[in-house]
Amino acid sequence: MTESFAPGVRVQDLTVVYRTPVGELPALAGVGLTLAPGTITGIVGESGSGKSTLALSLLNAVQPPGRISGGSVEIDGLGDVVRLTGDDLRRARGRQVGYVFQAAQNSLNPLKTVGKQLLDLGRSHDVADLPALLREARALLGRMGLDGGRVLDSYQHELSGGMRQRVGIMLALVLNAHLVVLDEPTTALDMITQATILRIVKEVHRERGLTTLIVTHDIGVAAEVTDSLAVMYGGRVVEHGPTMDVLGSPRHPYTRGLIRAIPRLSGDIGEATALPGRPPTLGTIPAEGCVFRERCPLRMAVCDTVDPAPAAYGERTVACHAVGRPVNLAVRKEYV
Amino acid sequence: MTVTQLLPAPATPRRNFWRGVLRVMRRKPSRMAGVAIVALFAFMGLFGPLLYPSPLPRDDNALYAAPSWAHPFGTDFEGTDVLALVVTGTRYVLLAGLATAVITVALGTGIGLLAGFHRGRWDTVLMRLTDLQLTIPGLPLLLVLSTVWKFTSPLEMGVVLGVLGWGGIARAVRSQTLSLRERGFIEAARGLGLSTRHIVGRELLPSMAPYIAMNMLIAVTGAIYAQVGLFFLGVLPFDANNWGVMLNLAVFGGGALTSAAALPYLLAPLLAILLLTLGIVLVVDAMDEIFNPRLREE
Amino acid sequence: MNTVIRRLTGHLARGIAMIWVVTTISFVIIRNIPGDPVRGQYEKLIEQGMGPDQAERATAALYGFLPTGSLWDQYTGYLNGLIHGDLGQSLSTPGTGVATLIGSAAKWTVLPVLGGTLLSFLLGVTLGVYAAIKRSGKLGDALAISGSLLHGVPQYVIGLLVTAIFTTLWPILPAGGPVDISFEPGFNAAYIVSLVQHATLPVLTYALASYGGWILAMKSSVATVLGDDFILAAELRGLKRSVLFRYIARNAILPLFTILALSLGMLFGGAIFIETIFNYPGLGLLLVNSIGARDYALMGGTFLVITVAIVVANIAADLLYAVIDPRVRTGGAA
Repeated sequence: MTESFAPGVRVQDLTVVYRTPVGELPALAGVGLTLAPGTITGIVGESGSGKSTLALSLLNAVQPPGRISGGSVEIDGLGDVVRLTGDDLRRARGRQVGYVFQAAQNSLNPLKTVGKQLLDLGRSHDVADLPALLREARALLGRMGLDGGRVLDSYQHELSGGMRQRVGIMLALVLNAHLVVLDEPTTALDMITQATILRIVKEVHRERGLTTLIVTHDIGVAAEVTDSLAVMYGGRVVEHGPTMDVLGSPRHPYTRGLIRAIPRLSGDIGEATALPGRPPTLGTIPAEGCVFRERCPLRMAVCDTVDPAPAAYGERTVACHAVGRPVNLAVRKEYV
Repeated sequence: MTVTQLLPAPATPRRNFWRGVLRVMRRKPSRMAGVAIVALFAFMGLFGPLLYPSPLPRDDNALYAAPSWAHPFGTDFEGTDVLALVVTGTRYVLLAGLATAVITVALGTGIGLLAGFHRGRWDTVLMRLTDLQLTIPGLPLLLVLSTVWKFTSPLEMGVVLGVLGWGGIARAVRSQTLSLRERGFIEAARGLGLSTRHIVGRELLPSMAPYIAMNMLIAVTGAIYAQVGLFFLGVLPFDANNWGVMLNLAVFGGGALTSAAALPYLLAPLLAILLLTLGIVLVVDAMDEIFNPRLREE
Repeated sequence: MNTVIRRLTGHLARGIAMIWVVTTISFVIIRNIPGDPVRGQYEKLIEQGMGPDQAERATAALYGFLPTGSLWDQYTGYLNGLIHGDLGQSLSTPGTGVATLIGSAAKWTVLPVLGGTLLSFLLGVTLGVYAAIKRSGKLGDALAISGSLLHGVPQYVIGLLVTAIFTTLWPILPAGGPVDISFEPGFNAAYIVSLVQHATLPVLTYALASYGGWILAMKSSVATVLGDDFILAAELRGLKRSVLFRYIARNAILPLFTILALSLGMLFGGAIFIETIFNYPGLGLLLVNSIGARDYALMGGTFLVITVAIVVANIAADLLYAVIDPRVRTGGAA
C-alpha cells in the first residue's frame, strides 16, 4: 500500500437544505473544500455549524429532511458522489469511503456479534474470500491493541467505549477504503482513551496511506492530528489552511475568537474570553450578508448586505470582508 | 363533560393556553367533531332520562318494529323505542365510566407518586402490587365477582372497575416521578427548603397533569367497554339500564342475529359505543397536541 | 445464564403469588356467596338421608373444602386440595370432574386463540413495518388509522359486527358451535371442513381485534429503531437493503414479544366474549356458563386455569426473550 492510493477530494459550491415548516433552510451554503491526497484534514466548529452535514455529504448521505440541493463532491476514482445513486452509491460507501461514528453513538447492531456484522459487511460488498476478511479484521484489531478473536465474538454491550471506537475504525478500513471520515472520534471518551485513539488514527493513516477527514469541536484534537484545518460557521467554511498557520495566526475574526476562548493549562483562566453571543441555528442564519456579523468585533457596513466570498491568501482561504485590511491582529503564537 | 373541565389549567399562562387550545381545535375539524360527540353524550347522560317517561312506553302492536320515523332504530321485544333505550342508558354507562376514571387516576397517581418518591422498600412493595394488578386476568375476575356483587348502581360498578384498573397509571406516574427525580428536580426543590407537600402538589403533579388527564380519558373508554361487556355476557341482573343489557337481549333473547329485521336493535347500542369511542379518541388526539410542547411550538 | 435463572425464579415467585391471590379470591367468594350454597348442599344431603360423614365428604368433593369446621380449616383444606390437583366436582354436569371439563374446553380455546393471535401478529407486524417506512404516504396513513380504530374497538363489538355480517346479512358461515354435529367426528373431510368453517369467524374476530394493536406497536417500534445510530452506521457501511431490513426488523420486533406473551395471556380472558358470541365451547364460555349455573367449583377451577395460563405465557415470553436478545442472555445492560 503506497501513498499513491490516497484519493483527493474536491468539494465545490456544496449546498444542503433542510425542509422545515417555514420552508427549506440552508445547512451548508456553497461550501468549497479540498482534501489533498494523503493528508489529515480537520473540520472544527460549534454544533450547528454544518460540520457533520459536510462529513455526511462526502458519502452523499445527508439524512432527510435534509438534501443536497447543489454543488459537487469529487473523489478521485469515484467521480462526483452527489450524482451516485442506488447500488453504485451503496458500494462506494464502505468500500471506497469509510465512516467512523462518534464513540457515544451505538454504531453496532446490538443483537449481533461484531464478527457476524463483519460478515454482513463482506457479503454486502461481494467479498469472495470471507476467511481472509476475518483475518484482515483480526490483524487490524490487533494492530490497534485489541484481542481480535475475542472482539469479533463480542456483542456491542460487552465492549467499552474505546473498544467500540476501534471496532468502528476497523469496520471503516477493513474493505480497504482509502478515504476515511471520522465524526467526533474522541467525544465521550476519557482522556487516556482519547490519546490512544488519536495515536491510532495517526499511525493507521500513515501506514495504510489514507486521506482522512476528522470532524471535531475540540481544537486540541485538531491541533494534535491534522495537517490542514477548516473552520466552519453557520454553514460556511470561514477559514481553511495548514493547521499550524490557522491556529498560529488565525485571520478570520471567528477563528480568533474561538482560539481566544480556550483556557490554557498554564496561566490565568481569566485570560480565556468567551465569544459573545450564540452560534446561529438553522432558523436564525441571516438570509443575506455575513453570517458572523452579529458576533463580530470587526463588523462593517458591507457585512450587512454582502456574504463574503472565500478568498485565497497563499495556502490559506478566508471568507471575511475585514481580512486584508490593516487590522490589529493581536495573535498569540503560543496557542499552537 | 368536556375535556377542558377535567384539567387543572396551568396557573400562569392561562390566556396562552386557551389560545393554543383554540388553534389546535381549528387545525383539524375532526377534533371539533370529537368534542361535539363527547358533549352530545354528556347531554344524553345528564338529561336523557328526563326526556322520556319512566318506565319507557311499550307498544304491544310494534314488537321488533323496523326503523321508522317514530322509531328511528326500531323497537325491542316489548315494543320499546330502541333510541329511547340508548339515550336513557347513557347515564349508567357514563357515570360508571367517570367513577372508574376518578378512582383509577386517584389510586394510580397516589401509588405511583408514593413509589417513585420514596423509592426503596416502599417502591418494591408497591410495584409488586402493581405487577400483580396488571397481570391478574381482569375480565374473569369481574365475572367471578359478579356472583356476589350485582352492580345495580353505576357507582358500584365504577368502584370495582377502578380498583381493578389503576396499575397502568401507577407504573407510568412512578417512572415519570423517577425521571424528574433523576433530573435533580426534587433535590433542587428540597434544597430550596420546600415541603414534600409543596413539591408533590405544586411541582410534580402539574407537570404530570396532562399525562394523567389523557390516561383518565383512556380509562373512561376502558371502563365503558368493560361494563357494557359484563352486562352483555348476561351474568348481571337486567334491572340496570345499560347498553350491554340491550346487546344481550338482542343477541340471545331477540335473535337479532337470525333475522335481518331485528338488526337495528343490535346495531343501535354498538353504534353508540363506537361513536363515543370515536369522540374520545379525537379528543385525546387534540389533547395530545395541546399538551405536547414539541408539537405545539411548530 | 445466571441472569436468566434469576429472572425465571422471579417470574415463578410472582406467578405463584398471583395464583395464590386468585385461589384466595375464589375461596372468599365461594365462602361468601349469598345463601351459603356449601352449607345448603350439606344440609340437603343430610335431609336426603345421608350420614353426616358421608354428606360432608360429598360436599367437600363438590366445593373443595369441608362444609363444617373453622374458616381456617376450610381455607387450608381448599388450598391443599388444589395443590394436589383436585379441582373438585362439577355441579352442573354431575359425575364429571372439574379438571375433565376444563381439559376438554381448553383445546377449543387454545387453538383459535393461537391461530388468531399468530395471524394478527404476522399481519400486523408486516403492515406495521410498511406503515413506519411509508409514514408520509397515503397507504401508510390508512394503515395507521385502521390500526387505531380496530385497536380502540372492544372485541365483542367486532365479534357482533362480524356475526351480523357473515351469518345474517350475508350468511355464508355457521353462526355458532364448534362443529356441525351431524358429521362423524374423526379424520374425515366433512368433519374437518365443518371444524374449519366454525372456527373461521372466531379466529377472524381474534385477528381483527388484535391486529390494530400490532400495527401500532410495530410502527412505533420500527420508527424508534430507524432513528437508532446503528441503522445509519449500517447504511454508511454500504450494507445491502436486505441486510439492513433484517437489522431493522429484528431489533424492532424484539420488544413486541413481551406484548405478545401478555396478550396471549389476556386473550385467555378475552376469549370469554368471542366464545360467548360464537357459542364456542372453550374456557371462556365454560366460565360464563359455570356462573350462570352457579357451579362454583367449576368457576373457581376455570378462573385458576386461566390464571395459570397467563403465568405460563409470561415465563415462556421471558425465556424467548433471553434466546433472542443477547443483552439479556449475557447479562449486559439493555
